[in-house]
Amino acid sequence: MDTEAVKIGAKNVDVSALMAEIRAEVARKASEGVYTDLRVALAEKTNLAQLKDQDGFFTLYLESLREAVAIDINDFPIVERRRAFSPLLVKLKKSIWNLLKFYTYRLWSQQNQVNSMMLALAEELDDRYRRRIDALEERVRDLESKRDIKP
Amino acid sequence: MGGAETLIKALAERAAQAGRTVHLLTTCAKNHFTWENEIPAGSHRAGPLTIHCFPVDGGRDLPRFGRAQERISRGPFTAEDEAAWLSESVHSRALLEYLTDNPFDRIVVGPYLFGLTVDVCRQFPSRSYLLPCLHDEAFARVSIFTKLFHDVAGILFNSEPEKELAQRLYAIPDTKGHVVGMGLDPYNVDPRAFTRRHGLTAPYVVYSGRREPLKGTPLLFDYMTAFRARTGRDVKLVLTGSGDVPIPPALTPHVCDVGFVSELEKHEAMAGAIAFCHPSLNESFSIVLLEAWLAQTPALVRESCAVLLDHCRRSNGGFWFGNYPEFEEELSRLLDDAPLRDAMGKAGRDYVVQNYSWPAVESKLFAALEAKTKDA
Repeated sequence: MDTEAVKIGAKNVDVSALMAEIRAEVARKASEGVYTDLRVALAEKTNLAQLKDQDGFFTLYLESLREAVAIDINDFPIVERRRAFSPLLVKLKKSIWNLLKFYTYRLWSQQNQVNSMMLALAEELDDRYRRRIDALEERVRDLESKRDIKP
Repeated sequence: MGGAETLIKALAERAAQAGRTVHLLTTCAKNHFTWENEIPAGSHRAGPLTIHCFPVDGGRDLPRFGRAQERISRGPFTAEDEAAWLSESVHSRALLEYLTDNPFDRIVVGPYLFGLTVDVCRQFPSRSYLLPCLHDEAFARVSIFTKLFHDVAGILFNSEPEKELAQRLYAIPDTKGHVVGMGLDPYNVDPRAFTRRHGLTAPYVVYSGRREPLKGTPLLFDYMTAFRARTGRDVKLVLTGSGDVPIPPALTPHVCDVGFVSELEKHEAMAGAIAFCHPSLNESFSIVLLEAWLAQTPALVRESCAVLLDHCRRSNGGFWFGNYPEFEEELSRLLDDAPLRDAMGKAGRDYVVQNYSWPAVESKLFAALEAKTKDA
């Protein structure tokens, strides 16, 4: 990113111009998927009410949720950081995991189903109300234009 | 003492120093949640002021107050909710009796959302100058305030956006309200003193004040956690003040919480920071933001707060954010660009010195208090 403009303007700084630059940069990065990240969605959890006027960002929030909706239920490498009895401890942990994973798979796959359904519902509601608002705005514009024509 | 109380006390002291006879009337309570009488009732001198403490009336039905407050803040609410909220709010018959027995020329009273403020304005409207510290919140839409704002002799606002909000909500005439604010004395501190004292080696963002959801503290914690995780940059968070907002475990090792500190240490903490972050949604003035600018530290504020946004636009001393990506981009720029940081900090300081010096504020205050005399 070119920050020369910022440095040139440092003596007589124009924050409004910098904000326009920053927002353009954010929009570019958003279009590249830079913010499609669960950590962004988590960071916004107390800011959702304020995002109501930011349609674009709300969509980004839903995309971040989509990325994170499915919990990883696959096997994972089992390691042991303690040096003493390391191979033995790894074997023990693997045995415990083999005994437990059936139950956790059941639990997490059900959780994934719920997550997917909740996300689908949120997306459907967002889409439905957007379409409804668009239709109402179109109707208002239409009525206003008709009123202007009449004497 | 909260911001509104600090503001009223500072204005009272200045008016007294300027030769006016000023009495500061307050309650015996220290806690604005319980309103228990903790300070002995009576009068004493404190510098140029005579301070009178009056007991708060007992017999408040707190559950009824809580229910009404909850309904008003969540909406919709009824006239009964308004009446319950007002009647169970804080009142002091002793203070009202003192005002009746001592007919002062002018009564500056605030902030707006306490029963006692409403009582004073209702009982002495032609002498009352309301200092509302008005926020764009559900309580501002309680119907009694429209009449109250119209009936008082004058209204002293802290900022232009606050005045615009009152005009939008209550349709008050332009001449009724006066933007006064509060003066601040410029200071110079060593920007390295705080980092030396606390052994901080990484850059940090500072937050000062009460920690609570309406102040946006949870949002700041979440944003700092995400910033550290996503950018991999070691940026600390310094907190002054207090409150019960839990810090996320991932952020805890990177927070330097110094609690209540002296004004000097707070200013040193501000001066050494990369940025002062004020994520509050509702402010009528923001003394801490102006203090941070006097330390020549740029600010990061919430776009949704009209007053903070207005300060930043006018001063060129701070960025505003509406969402996390903007915050990330802005903080990254401030970390990477020292000349920009310096320029914004200096612009902020110039703004405070030019607009909020005590002589400038005093002349606005006395003009506002004289305006009614001319109208009468």
